[in-house]
Parts: sequence; C-alpha cells; structure tokens
Amino acid sequence: MNILTLENVSKKFGEKLILDGINLTVPEGSIYGFVGKNGAGKTTTMKMVLGLEDLTEGSIKIKGESVTFGNTKTNQWTGYLPDVPEFYGFMSAGEYLKLCGEITGIPKSELSTKVKSMLKKVGLEDSKQPIKKFSRGMKQRLGAAQALLNEPKLLICDEPTSALDPNGRREFLDLLYSLKENVTIIFSTHILNDVERICDHVGILNEGKIIADTTLTDLKKQFASSKMEVLMEAKDNVLLEDILNRLIHEGKVQTYEKANESYFVSYSGDYADLLEELYGSCKKAHIVPNLLRKIEPSLESIFLEVTR
Amino acid sequence: MKDIYYFTKKELLEVWRTKRLLILLIVFIIFGILSPLMAKLTPEILKSSFGSEIQLTIPEPTSIDSWVQFYKNITQMGIYILVILYSNSVSGEVSRGSLTNLVTKGLNRSAVITSKYLVIAMQGVVAVCLSFSITAAYTAYYFPDNNSPHIVIALVPLLIFILFLSALIVFGSAISSNSFAGLLFTITTIALFYLMNLFENISKFNPISLIGENVSILQGETQLNEQYWAMSISLLATIFLFSAAISVMNKKKL
Repeated sequence: MNILTLENVSKKFGEKLILDGINLTVPEGSIYGFVGKNGAGKTTTMKMVLGLEDLTEGSIKIKGESVTFGNTKTNQWTGYLPDVPEFYGFMSAGEYLKLCGEITGIPKSELSTKVKSMLKKVGLEDSKQPIKKFSRGMKQRLGAAQALLNEPKLLICDEPTSALDPNGRREFLDLLYSLKENVTIIFSTHILNDVERICDHVGILNEGKIIADTTLTDLKKQFASSKMEVLMEAKDNVLLEDILNRLIHEGKVQTYEKANESYFVSYSGDYADLLEELYGSCKKAHIVPNLLRKIEPSLESIFLEVTR
Repeated sequence: MKDIYYFTKKELLEVWRTKRLLILLIVFIIFGILSPLMAKLTPEILKSSFGSEIQLTIPEPTSIDSWVQFYKNITQMGIYILVILYSNSVSGEVSRGSLTNLVTKGLNRSAVITSKYLVIAMQGVVAVCLSFSITAAYTAYYFPDNNSPHIVIALVPLLIFILFLSALIVFGSAISSNSFAGLLFTITTIALFYLMNLFENISKFNPISLIGENVSILQGETQLNEQYWAMSISLLATIFLFSAAISVMNKKKL
C-alpha cells in the first residue's frame, strides 16, 4: 500500500518548467530516498506534498486524500523537517514543542509527558536556554522532535543532514533509522551515502523527471554494471594488461581502467567464472595479484550512470 | 478559534520577551508624563530663553495646553513607533520561515493574521490608554480648571484610528517581502491620507481626521457625531484591510 502518490505532477515557475509530469509512489513503512542534484526540484516537490506550493498540473495524494494548496487536511498525517528549520528564538525547546502540540490538537493531559519524552528522544531534555542559543545540530534535533510530535504517518525530511557535521549526521541518520517501525520517511538529499545507509527505496529526480523509482536492491540490479578491482605489484602491470586485453578480445571483459595503483575491470558475465579465468591466467604468467575483489555497485555510481 | 488562542499566546510571549511591548509602554508613559509637564513648563522655559530684557506676555497655561501636547506627541510620534515596531510582523515570519513548521502542523493561516492584528491593536490601545490616564491625572493636578470637559469622548476617534492603523500595518506587512517595504507602505498611505485631508469635501470621510479634531472635541467645540463618517469609514477600512491581509496570507508561499 502506498502512503504517498504523485501523478503526472508538473510545476512551472513563470516559463521555467521545474517538474515535468512526475509520477512517484512511496510505499507505507519505507524509508524513501529522494535523490537529485542541487536545484533539481526536490524541495519544490516536498513543498507541494505539504501544500506549501501549488501544482501547475497533476495530483498528489496522501493516504488517498488529495493535497490542496494552503490549508491542506493531509497535514494531519505529515511531519516536516526542513533543511534549516526555523524556530522562535525567544522560546525554549519545551515551549516550542508545547506550541506545536497545542496546534496539532494533542490533548492537554498528554502534552506535557509527550513533550518531555520527545525532548529526551532527541537529547534535548536538559536544554533550558532559548532556541536562539542553540547550535545547528541542536536545532536539527529540535526540528526532528517537532516533526515527530504528532506521531505522523509520513515524515518528510528535506535535506536534513546537509548542514550537519559528520558526527551530527551519523547521530541524525541513526535517529531516522530508529523510527522506521512506526513512520514512513521521505528523505530528500543529494548526499548519496546517507541514502545508502538508511533508505530501502529510491527515487531519482533529474532534469524535472523521475528516472528511477524502485527499491535500492532493484536499482542496483537494474543500473549498476559489474566491476572488480585488481591490484598487482607495479612491475607486473604490463603482464596484467596483456591478460586483460586478451579477455576483452574473448568477450569476457568489457573494459578496464587504471586508477591510482588498481585496475578496475568491467565485465558482464559471472564473477566467479571471471575470477577463475583471471586468477588462472595470472598463475600461468607467474604473477600473483595482491588484491582481487568484487566491487559492489554504489548509489553514487548508479546516480552518475543514470544522470549522465 | 483554538489556533487564534494559541498563536495569540505566542505573539504575546514574543512581544514581551523581545521587549517590544516594554519599549512601547515606556515611550507612551513618557509621553503621558511629559505632555502636562511641558505645558506647565513652557512659559518658564520661554521666559528663561528670552531673558528678562524682553517683555513677553505669555498666557497662563491651562489643561487645553496639556492635551494639545498629548495629542501632538501621540499622533506625531507615538503612532509611528507602533508602525516601526510592527511593520515586519508578517513579512519577518514569512521570510525567516518560522511559520512553515506551524502551518504544516495545521495552523490556519488566517489565525496568524488575526492574532497579529489583535496583539498589535491591543498594544496600541493599551499604550494610548495608559498614556492618556497618566496625562489625565497630571493635567488634573497641574491645571485644575474646567476647560477640558470631554477628555474621554475626545479619545474615542484616536482609539478607532489605532484599530485602523493596526490593520494597515498588518496588511502592509502581509503584502511586503521585508520590514522596510511594509514600513514604506504604511507611512506612504498615512502621508496620502494627510494630503487628501487638504480637500475639504474629502476630509470628513478621511480616517486621518480622527487624529486632528481631538482637542476641539474635548473642549466641546466639535461634536463626536461630526466624525461619524470618518469613524465608520475607518472601521470599514479596518475590516477590509484585515480580510485582504488574510486573503494575501492564504496565497502566500511559505
């Protein structure tokens, strides 16, 4: 079952077409990585899902209900975490969460407990100072707390890690991953490592179109070419190149390239067969590889491949 | 309704913690104290300025002089302080992005405008009333005469003007992208009203006339009902500006 569906959604700013009839589905219970270059239209898409931007064409549905521009009813199911969340600097974290809870209609009897537990969850339980004195990381954690306070069915995170340092990023991704049981998460980003770490579904937005919308596993199967890395003693490189050229001639290897000290070999057949062939050839030539390994396709390589 | 209540609470906390309310009240308290004091001291100041060689015939100050000072201070300075303090009330929130979280939590956009209007108007009314009370007390102390019999009635047009001005500030801020543009819109509109007041046939409908006849009303020279049209049009304009601000806000991209 899909919690979010975008059907033929287009968006123009003046004459400029930002989104060109995109279709996208987010399955319930998934962590969906929404990937694209900077300026690809990810934030615009997120804002349209939240009813903060109007659509030029198409429809967006959350749990089967249409999203409308302005005061959309579907916001009762969503939580939103922008890239740089803005708060009221004169309030404390607790006061801000209380305001959010009041607006979302959390009963008074539960609100205080809920605010305390949410502050604890994001590690801000001891913070009493006004938000204006918060660091970037603290603001991001408070952003996550406000987004999760009303126990949303769909959490929309728009580049939430782009402003964080490596530690803050790791902590934040761990936090998102821990929510997987209860919330469907859309995670828009251009940091592909983050998507690989926590997402199970991926959508790639490029030049206003969705060019991939599937599970990460399927995407790797579909787009990634098989590669292996071979590292020899420098003196044996010439012999290795002879072997690789022969294998290209025999159609067992497609191409190879040398980067730093290693050779990266692209092939289309079975890894075990090629490994046996290559190792056997090296043995015959009296050379021994220092390293022979299969390279798992990365999202980065797929992204570069499909957006080329 | 609940959205208005919660957002108004937030607005009140904001004006208190950012000290905007304090600044406004202090300035208006100073006006309240200074107006009768200046009226009392002006003859002395003039005498000491010109020295004993020049013979000046300065009439004894009365309560009228105190109220002239009061309305001059409020209408020539006080209302502009209100404009300066709040001309970014909507545009500031939109440009900072602080409304985004709350709107995506279901906060009704009209509640934002309603709360902002209520809090600005309330502060304006409270500040003016506080200043008025202080001036009234000191005027009664310094000038125990009967020259100003209708001080409360004379205040009514000013209070209606404050309600109108608050709507103008909120509307100006809603249509602007920054505080300077909002300020410029409000000040320019007031300047245009002053210009329109030069035409006699327009002036009786003009909201700005609500801050021009107060001294005359308190002396009994002008009746309050002579400002009926200006008051009615100001109230109608308040409703129009308020509704227009909501309409602009509903279409605003956050």
